[in-house]
Amino acid sequence: MNPAAIKRFLAGGAPFFIFGMVLLAFLLVPFYSTEQISDFNAFNSLQSASSVGLLALAIGLSMIAGEFDLSTVGMYALGGMLAVKLGADSPLLGVAAAMGAGVVVGAIQGGIIAKLGISSVPVTLGGYIALLGLTSVISSGESVAYENFDVGISLDQQTLTFFSPRSLIMIGAFVLVAVLIRWTRIGRDLRAVGGDRRAARAAGVRTDRILVGTFIATAVISALAGALLSYSIATAKPDPGGAPLVFAVTAALLGGVTLAGGKGTAAGILAGALSLSLLQEIFVIVATPDYVSDLVLGGLLIIVVAFDAPRLKSRMIAMRSRAASRRMAQVAMKELKQE
Amino acid sequence: MSGAAVGAPEQAAASRSARKVILLVLQGLVALAGLVILVGAITTQGFFSVDNLKAILASVGFVGMVAVGMTVIMISGSFVSMSLGTQAAVSAIFFVWALKFGVAPAIAMTIAFGLIIGSIQGYAIGAFGANPIVLTIAVVAVLEGMVVVFSSGGTQTPPNGAYEFLNDTILGLPMSFYVMLGVVAVAELIMRRTTFGRQVYMVGDNPLAAFVAGLPMGKIGAGVFGLAGVASAVAGIMLGAYNQGASLLLTGSLTYDAIAATLVGGTLVSGGKGSVWKTLVGALVIATITDLLLLRGYSTGVQIMVKGLLVVVVVIVVHLRSQGTRS
Repeated sequence: MNPAAIKRFLAGGAPFFIFGMVLLAFLLVPFYSTEQISDFNAFNSLQSASSVGLLALAIGLSMIAGEFDLSTVGMYALGGMLAVKLGADSPLLGVAAAMGAGVVVGAIQGGIIAKLGISSVPVTLGGYIALLGLTSVISSGESVAYENFDVGISLDQQTLTFFSPRSLIMIGAFVLVAVLIRWTRIGRDLRAVGGDRRAARAAGVRTDRILVGTFIATAVISALAGALLSYSIATAKPDPGGAPLVFAVTAALLGGVTLAGGKGTAAGILAGALSLSLLQEIFVIVATPDYVSDLVLGGLLIIVVAFDAPRLKSRMIAMRSRAASRRMAQVAMKELKQE
Repeated sequence: MSGAAVGAPEQAAASRSARKVILLVLQGLVALAGLVILVGAITTQGFFSVDNLKAILASVGFVGMVAVGMTVIMISGSFVSMSLGTQAAVSAIFFVWALKFGVAPAIAMTIAFGLIIGSIQGYAIGAFGANPIVLTIAVVAVLEGMVVVFSSGGTQTPPNGAYEFLNDTILGLPMSFYVMLGVVAVAELIMRRTTFGRQVYMVGDNPLAAFVAGLPMGKIGAGVFGLAGVASAVAGIMLGAYNQGASLLLTGSLTYDAIAATLVGGTLVSGGKGSVWKTLVGALVIATITDLLLLRGYSTGVQIMVKGLLVVVVVIVVHLRSQGTRS
């Protein structure tokens, strides 16, 4: 298969095919290990996809718009901290505060990026550092416990065998974004802005509004993800580290979103996130050490980003033609010698 | 190395006069911040003491070395490597492990190690146009996993004290500061005086033109990230010696601090403009502000937050200025 075909494949049905393969690997666990699988494992993998899956949705959305929002992890930390600090009595108030902060942060960053035409990476990188600092200021640099344990317990209660209120909220967010992208003008405009911004503007798309809206959406979704995680584990950490970012980016790319922008669906990102969380669950079942999961996730991301690379195809064609001409030269040499 | 800035730079929506106003306001803000810092410095007891100025200089040693690599990467148009801090920590672990072969071999091996790790990434980025940010994020995960495989994640401790001379102080400043100056000087020389250096600026300024002109993109990418790998490896050597042992915890906020120094030093985000010594100035500015905040009793959180906001403001100012000169 040549890289172009692989790319087309990755962009289309591939996310669901990959999910199917991982699901198959999961179902076959009893056949290649001594461990058994249960409904609880499926429930568990949905649980672990709940927070980082939302993060993948946020980063994926920014990538569809042709940008890359690095501040999502910072907003994830801040959202979790605000929810715990302000939601002691009313958890809903905590989530609302987190998402409200997301609106403000998204509007500022999106405004700067859209109005001044700066690449989003450096702006959101500064935003990421500033948000982590702000989170650390609010928490005095310590992990903060959430005393209202009942909230987490009811959020993580097993319902309908595989689900919990938390994972249902995550799926609900995906459905909402999917509907917006699939059936409204926003989705079309979003892809246009990501694919060819100048053409989109010439065609009458209000690119500024779409961009600002996208960055508000990514920040709000990240804040929600952080808040849900804090309630679930009854703690907010000032620095979530690098693992959530690796998961989110890999999930989005596996889900058919491209770094060049203009491509991707919410369903694809969900499939990507579920594939990864199910894969991690398989590692848990067969009791592989943590670092294997690290290595596999990192290796997977390298492979996906290599296939996303624009010049890989031309390179391979060039290499093939060079090899072909070398072969021809060898044949010619041989014939010359025989003569 | 086009994949770097996701979302091509494009015509801004705001009118030119509005941009001029924004630029003026921001420059005013920067000047005001400078004034606040100056007044703060004068009114803060102990800021102008010799010991404190030494502390500021000493604190830029490690981050300065990593920032050298970051600057070369940004000039080449690949924006940033998210893995340089981790590479420094992994190099430190490797160095401490290799000390059993003697100090000099350990230094040589660690530098070779950094060169190899860096140039592999750089080749993929330069030759294939792989997205540098995402690729280096993946490299972090892989490196961290590999460290656990080889060292079971614990702290690596040196077999003997033969390396201790790396912790000597000269004129009251630690060796790492002088080593950093050396790294800056060598990198500046490479970037200004060699064909490779000029090619890096060219690729950063206009990657498409460089590609069409037939510049060896893979080799240049490998060279850029190889250089960054070596700079991080040197930082790792000094880090390992300073901490008398090494673990992944050494990564800390090294990557982000190096990026902040590079951006505050005025390197153009899209590549082609900037210099290693200006990054050193950026690192010193950040270190001075951090020191001032520390002396005034502000928490670590405030220091980090100010750093982040400073990055955003400087990025905007540099961007608007570069557009002003172009049009």
